[in-house]
Amino acid sequence: MLSHSLVHIDLDTFFVSVERLKDSRLKNKPVLVGGNGDRGVVASCSYEARAYGIHSAMPIRTAKMLCPHAVIVRGDYEHYSKYSNMVTDIIKENVPVFEKSSVDEFYIDMTGMEKFFGTFKYMQDVRNKIIKETGLPISFGLSENKTVSKVATGEAKPNNCMQIHYGEEKTFLAPLHVRKIPMVGEKTTELLKKMGIIKIKTIQQMPMPVMTSILGENGTTIWKKANGIDNTPIEPYSERKSISTEETFDQDTIDVKKLGSIISAMTEKLAYQMRTENKLTSCITVKVRYSDFETHTIQKKIAYTSTDHSLIATVKELFKKIYQRRVLIRLIGVKFSGLVFGGHQINLLEDSENLLRLYQEMDFIRNKHGKNAVQRVSGMGYDFREFNPFNGIKK
Amino acid sequence: MKFIVSTTSLLRNLQLVNGVVNTNTVLPILEDFLFVIEKNKLTISGTDLETSIATTMEIESKANGKVAIPAKILVEYLKTLPEQPLTISIDDESFAVEITTDRGKYKLNGETGSDFPRIPAADNVEELTLSTAVLQKAINKTIFAVSNDELRPQMTGVYFQLNNEGITFVATDAHKLVKYKRTDVQAVSSTSFIVPKKALTLLKSILPSEDTQVKISYNSSNAFFKYNNVSLICRLIDAKYPDYNAVIPTENPNQLNLNRADILNTLRRVMIFSNKTTHQVILKINGNQLNVQAQDLDFSNEANEILDCQYSGADMEIGFNAKFLSEMLSAMDNEEVKLELSTPTRAGILLPTETESGEDLLMLVMPVMLSV
Repeated sequence: MLSHSLVHIDLDTFFVSVERLKDSRLKNKPVLVGGNGDRGVVASCSYEARAYGIHSAMPIRTAKMLCPHAVIVRGDYEHYSKYSNMVTDIIKENVPVFEKSSVDEFYIDMTGMEKFFGTFKYMQDVRNKIIKETGLPISFGLSENKTVSKVATGEAKPNNCMQIHYGEEKTFLAPLHVRKIPMVGEKTTELLKKMGIIKIKTIQQMPMPVMTSILGENGTTIWKKANGIDNTPIEPYSERKSISTEETFDQDTIDVKKLGSIISAMTEKLAYQMRTENKLTSCITVKVRYSDFETHTIQKKIAYTSTDHSLIATVKELFKKIYQRRVLIRLIGVKFSGLVFGGHQINLLEDSENLLRLYQEMDFIRNKHGKNAVQRVSGMGYDFREFNPFNGIKK
Repeated sequence: MKFIVSTTSLLRNLQLVNGVVNTNTVLPILEDFLFVIEKNKLTISGTDLETSIATTMEIESKANGKVAIPAKILVEYLKTLPEQPLTISIDDESFAVEITTDRGKYKLNGETGSDFPRIPAADNVEELTLSTAVLQKAINKTIFAVSNDELRPQMTGVYFQLNNEGITFVATDAHKLVKYKRTDVQAVSSTSFIVPKKALTLLKSILPSEDTQVKISYNSSNAFFKYNNVSLICRLIDAKYPDYNAVIPTENPNQLNLNRADILNTLRRVMIFSNKTTHQVILKINGNQLNVQAQDLDFSNEANEILDCQYSGADMEIGFNAKFLSEMLSAMDNEEVKLELSTPTRAGILLPTETESGEDLLMLVMPVMLSV
């Protein structure tokens, strides 16, 4: 069988690096990006901050305790996505197939390119080009599959690269901590530790059925990954198929009226966004997180639409269904998925022409004077922030 | 009970009924044909509880009686036989069926006919007669516009509206609407009912190609369609049909005249490049030029065609689902058609420029919203 050449390429401390481009004073200092006041989490932190034990997804408050002199930056998502797109464009121009798995991470399939030029050498050139053109540090790993390459990138960092030759995957992984396997999180690490499994080598020596009996299907996958086996293909970069928004409250709330207003305002904004992008949704998801972090989601399939009234009605109906516990709510979110290209098919019996005209006029005003220029009264006063759903950073 | 029948005529009758017989039903007896013999007449019926079909044929038999025979095995078997007389005998106790040909013997198990669901009888009905040609035309022109939305049962059938001026057939799924009126047939009294799509699809498939008369009888719960020796009985949809007349716009100042075949061919080509779910096309009308456009951003597909047309009205840009438009145009049979429009958010009305006497056709299609 033809062996594959898969590259995992990852921007180092992406948000921090972008902030450092804007403000060179941040260099060589512990920097945290993220957070809205006291309740936010660390979205990205510099290596200097990591020395204090800070890691991403840690509450800002805890991070401050660990390193009181860290510089905290609020973050500018639009700016980050601009840089992310710059990197995407460079990669797009230089490689045959790639997958953008997040804002700062890419998988590249270089299979079949070895004949023409050394893949490793070529990827080094691409990396240097990215560094030169964007000024951002970036690392990559090259191996036979996605998992090994991702682990290799992690080992290569900061700002370096690494190649794992075909057949050496197991030896490369063996001395590493189990935590390094992608998808092994805190809980799994704990569980494995209790059983005396600390190094990947131990998993490699275990028979697969044992891992399966401990961790179910995940156990099988983890065992395979530990042995350097991973057949997942590259999923080429495609247009997004969903849009969403969510809001974490400054203070947990149980005010149902306020919650209703907020989700209707969220829906209104998303619906406008869909209409400007000429999209229709067929699936609505509502998410609720209670103050004890218990999270519930509910979804419903609907006929393709982008009109406020039908979306708001469904979102409210779903919220009513899902909000069952009489517990304070910490976060609420709305997602539209199953997006297709097209305009709303007007319904002969249900859509009133005046209402449709109203939407058109409102959209016209928004296009001209900004998206907050006009909105429903019920949603007014709740000028919720719009977040990047990945990291909670304000746009 | 014992009777003699020819293979081909039995098979022909069974196949008429077979369309309504389901496999895998909750009630196993619904997978059977009901055979009823009375005075040298065999009536074969099948039902899915909503719709039933029955046919009658002459046979030779001394006894009377009834039995339910599994449909699938019987039809499959008869298809393999050359034309010949068959002797079918049924044990009156066990309902075992034995078929004898000159070559061999075949046995299968029947069930007692008295367990077969009762097929509604035409009580307290009013009647009217239509030719098969007219009925077929009415079904063909309306059935594609019927809704499949089970949450709105009233729209899952064709609305028959009868009065002394004629019959109007209406179908809509709230995105498109067809209204087909025949003024050459009159009903005695004014009434209306909704016939389920499935019954009409079945009826369409069994109506003979030669022109005969179909007797339509109806009461408050059922409709009966009867021609020659065949009858189709269906339960009517018990719901109120939407007030469709109120939503058909009457003032449509913009008129677009088109050659039906031209626009249909254009749409079929352009539609291939549109989004596979929404089939959205944009009609841009400028003077006497019609520009039909489609695009699918997800795949970078794009199409653009220009057609000559006759247009009177203000220049406009309106979006439609091309599938709806082409379905409607395909259901028409005139050479020239006209599309009446008012604004980009209002219905488009598709009409034939000339109609045959005795009929009147109106099709309506709702546009899609284009972003401002």
